Amino acid sequence: MQVLVLMVPVFFGFMGFAIDLGRLYMARNELKTAANAMAIAAAQRLNGTEASIEAATAYARIPIDASSGVANKYDFGGSTIGESNGTLNSEEPTLSFYDASSAAIGSEGSTGGEAGGATAKHVRVVVRGEAPTIFWRFLAIGLDGRINLAAQSVAGQSAPVCQACGVEPIAVQAISIEDTVDFGFVPGIRYTLGYLCTGGPTPGALANTTSRVPYVMLNRYNEGATFLADELTQLYRIGSQGLPPASDPATYCLRVNAEEPVWVNAAPLACNANRVASQVSTFLCGLAARFDNATVPAVCNAVNESDTVIAANPADSDLTDVEDYTAYTGNNRRIITVPIVETAAGSTMVVLGFRQFLIEPAANDSTINAADQNGRFAALYLGSRIPVKQGRIDGCTQFAGPGKVVLHQ
Amino acid sequence: MRRRPTQRGTSLLEAVLFLPILMMLLWGLIEFGRISYTFYTLHKMLQTVARYTAQQPGLNFCDESDVQLTQAKTLALRGAGESAGAEIIPNLTADQIRIRLERVDPDTAQLGECDCSATGCDIAQGGRSPDFIVVSFTDGFPMRPNIPFFNAAETFALRPLVRMPVGGN
Repeated sequence: MQVLVLMVPVFFGFMGFAIDLGRLYMARNELKTAANAMAIAAAQRLNGTEASIEAATAYARIPIDASSGVANKYDFGGSTIGESNGTLNSEEPTLSFYDASSAAIGSEGSTGGEAGGATAKHVRVVVRGEAPTIFWRFLAIGLDGRINLAAQSVAGQSAPVCQACGVEPIAVQAISIEDTVDFGFVPGIRYTLGYLCTGGPTPGALANTTSRVPYVMLNRYNEGATFLADELTQLYRIGSQGLPPASDPATYCLRVNAEEPVWVNAAPLACNANRVASQVSTFLCGLAARFDNATVPAVCNAVNESDTVIAANPADSDLTDVEDYTAYTGNNRRIITVPIVETAAGSTMVVLGFRQFLIEPAANDSTINAADQNGRFAALYLGSRIPVKQGRIDGCTQFAGPGKVVLHQ
Repeated sequence: MRRRPTQRGTSLLEAVLFLPILMMLLWGLIEFGRISYTFYTLHKMLQTVARYTAQQPGLNFCDESDVQLTQAKTLALRGAGESAGAEIIPNLTADQIRIRLERVDPDTAQLGECDCSATGCDIAQGGRSPDFIVVSFTDGFPMRPNIPFFNAAETFALRPLVRMPVGGN
């Protein structure tokens, strides 16, 4: 009798190990999943602007937002994260932003505190929640039948990608290939990207830009396409959203060190002809759709299925002429990730790396002039600010360039 | 002379009274463990599907026969990309895994479900990839608790669910 009574607390302790501890581990695993989702979401929104912290924080809330009925929850999918259900309390997850991954992980010897929106590239998310205990609540370790749990996740931009998918396939000529970080471009300076032409005279730069940098279309014509198959439609689509998603990386992605031929029907013309191929104008119409996704520019009236293409993607939410990139508040639609080559040419070129530009509207307008006879548009050089959507980081050596979002921890 | 009552036998009686309770507790422990283990495994499966599919370039969630999508489900259900591995949970099939596509409306910033159309999330028709995917089991996964001397006819559903942002790694 006495032995059995004495055994009861011991027995409860062991039951606690089996049931309560198992439940705690499970709840923590669920919290970890939520933290992972939140960290990846937040890191996707870090674009190097002052508004990015707020945007990332709001976007990170989506994985645990239960207003639509579904969300990442914990404790057998029963308790909402970041809310209290009366007995169990889950604090609002905390996000902290860093410019270096070592600081975000908090590794030993790392310096640098939290970063502001202009430099933040990594995010640490801590998710907390209370889990109930059944057996341990009768023992001293139960703490009112609740135990605090926490899970942490760190995500951010990876090393520079060697293969970037969904980017804009225009080869921009480097100003200086000695400069491995910016290829001679200066961040925050506007350049005129003008379509390459042969002979002279070279077309001038647009107003408010420093110089004209030549570019050419790289050939990504998908002859086997069954939908939106027309060549001009494909160009329009590429201009409006970058390379269209496909399972084959040869059509969807561009690789560093790969040889890329020029788009056959968009070969450079003589400069003194003062015109570009309709393929180039169509691509520019696509870029214009990033400002205005309701009207097709007059020069592209003949493009088939332009309505389908234009409706698929939203316009940028910030159409202003951006002087200081950190003040940009848009949704990244105007940012293009382009391959940089040593010399833009009418033959094949080798991709040196990827860099990003922000397309600027034409003077006194809210969109670009797609009908420009020299295929020119103004763009602010950014360097490597936003992570590419898809890509691979293996297979080349890059000193700088955009990365993709990865989970560090 | 009256015999003094002995204490002998009482502990046996105690044990007889105590044993059923002990057995029930042990049984409950085993059942709870079984259900926990199943829930954990299911959750892990959904996490695998979500993370695997979210980072595949050019994956079309609207195409049921998409190779990468099929591979992700096979990987989750069998622990290997090929169909070689044994089923981790018997009788669980790939078509029970439901993927809900979601996108943030650029104008209202509200999250909404995204359909498979040209203006929706079908990238083969010119649409745009979803921003988030929610992976769950259609109607949950049915579990029936095994309790001795009591045949539970009712099943209850385990409803693990994972929402992941699309893109990145």
